[in-house]
Amino acid sequence: MVIFNKIHLTAITLLFFGTILNILPFSEALVSKTPPILLLILIYLSLAFPNQINLTYAFISGIIMDILLITPLGYNALCYTITIYLILLYYPQIRLQSNWNKMFSLLIILIPYFFISTIVNDMLNIEYNILDVCISIFISVLIWPGLFGMLRFIRQKYTS
Amino acid sequence: MKNNLHFRQSHIISIKLILFLVISISFLLIDKNLELSNKIRNNSSYLIKPIYSTAEAPLKIFNKLSIYIDSMQDLIKKNKILEKKVFIQSGIIQKIPLLKEENKRLKKLLNSSESMADSKIIIAELIKVNLSPFSNKIVIDKGEKNNLSLGQTVIDSLGLIGQVSEVNKDFSIVTLITDPGHALLAVNTRTEKRVMVSGTGDNRYLKAEYVSLNEDVIEGDILITSGLDNIFPEGYLIGVISKINKKINKDFMEVDVRPSSSLSTNQEVMILW
Repeated sequence: MVIFNKIHLTAITLLFFGTILNILPFSEALVSKTPPILLLILIYLSLAFPNQINLTYAFISGIIMDILLITPLGYNALCYTITIYLILLYYPQIRLQSNWNKMFSLLIILIPYFFISTIVNDMLNIEYNILDVCISIFISVLIWPGLFGMLRFIRQKYTS
Repeated sequence: MKNNLHFRQSHIISIKLILFLVISISFLLIDKNLELSNKIRNNSSYLIKPIYSTAEAPLKIFNKLSIYIDSMQDLIKKNKILEKKVFIQSGIIQKIPLLKEENKRLKKLLNSSESMADSKIIIAELIKVNLSPFSNKIVIDKGEKNNLSLGQTVIDSLGLIGQVSEVNKDFSIVTLITDPGHALLAVNTRTEKRVMVSGTGDNRYLKAEYVSLNEDVIEGDILITSGLDNIFPEGYLIGVISKINKKINKDFMEVDVRPSSSLSTNQEVMILW
């Protein structure tokens, strides 16, 4: 029970920091190329604790991001929910992979995320630049090993 | 057993997935114009403002530190330049009462009402957060507490920025003139013809729409607000026509307008009453 609470407490703290990092101000040239840090943290947490951190966390985090980013309600919630569902489908395989393979798996999982967000952008007539979207995916994959190591260190320290 | 989520919980996960997808899509359909999320933001502004402030804090600290790091000589140089600017501008301002009188006299001659009444201005600071990369919106630190209301005009020292599109208790959201869903009626200062100017989603340019092929428009023409849309007061600078593309097989010209305000580098903006 104590470990269960520790997991949720750590997850909520990490997601709070992820939210802050997601809305951290950048110069205009970089804004559209920033990686979805909150989603990357959610991916890590659902890989580590698939029984506890799953679709409910993804949906609620998405709704919070919609409110903070001034996007139509449901936009991020939809994208996050589908991405975390993919993680829950394949987490046993991803867990066993080496770091390089994990980067490749992340790339495969992030492509549907950006694909869905692009469809929703089109539906809602939101302007976007496909090159920026590709750069954002590329940066997400590049920072993944570092982020993964850091999150694993935090998880081992605070949840065991 | 607990780890065997693949088999044990798969049906629960599937039900959750369908439920959340249905809710998300329903929200998307209902909240296309951000009405529902506006209400939520308004009711939870006391929670949102601290999150925005926390995200903005590193930039503020960096800016404060950079002031300390600036050498004394740099500051003296900057001060001298600013003193010169103030001196020149105070010289220009001396002419304003005279111009106001002349304007009144000319308007009386034309029997037109005085539309440029002395308006109240308040200065608002931008809350610098990384919003959705493709939304042309900014957050400012003034809200209901400062008597802000929907539709108020927002300008900077160089020209028009946009209008207040959402008012919360402690902060407000401003839709920029570059938002694709935003349009306003402008006047070409050279020809005094009216032009519809709409946003493109790109902060670097706007689009002048429905400009017929035989209309007198040249690059460098200055566009100002017309005051006819009952949103923006008359006479504020919108931008300069930067590119004209005439295609014979089309009914209208493609006209790009470069906004005069610094839409992406602002620290402070002015709100008009």
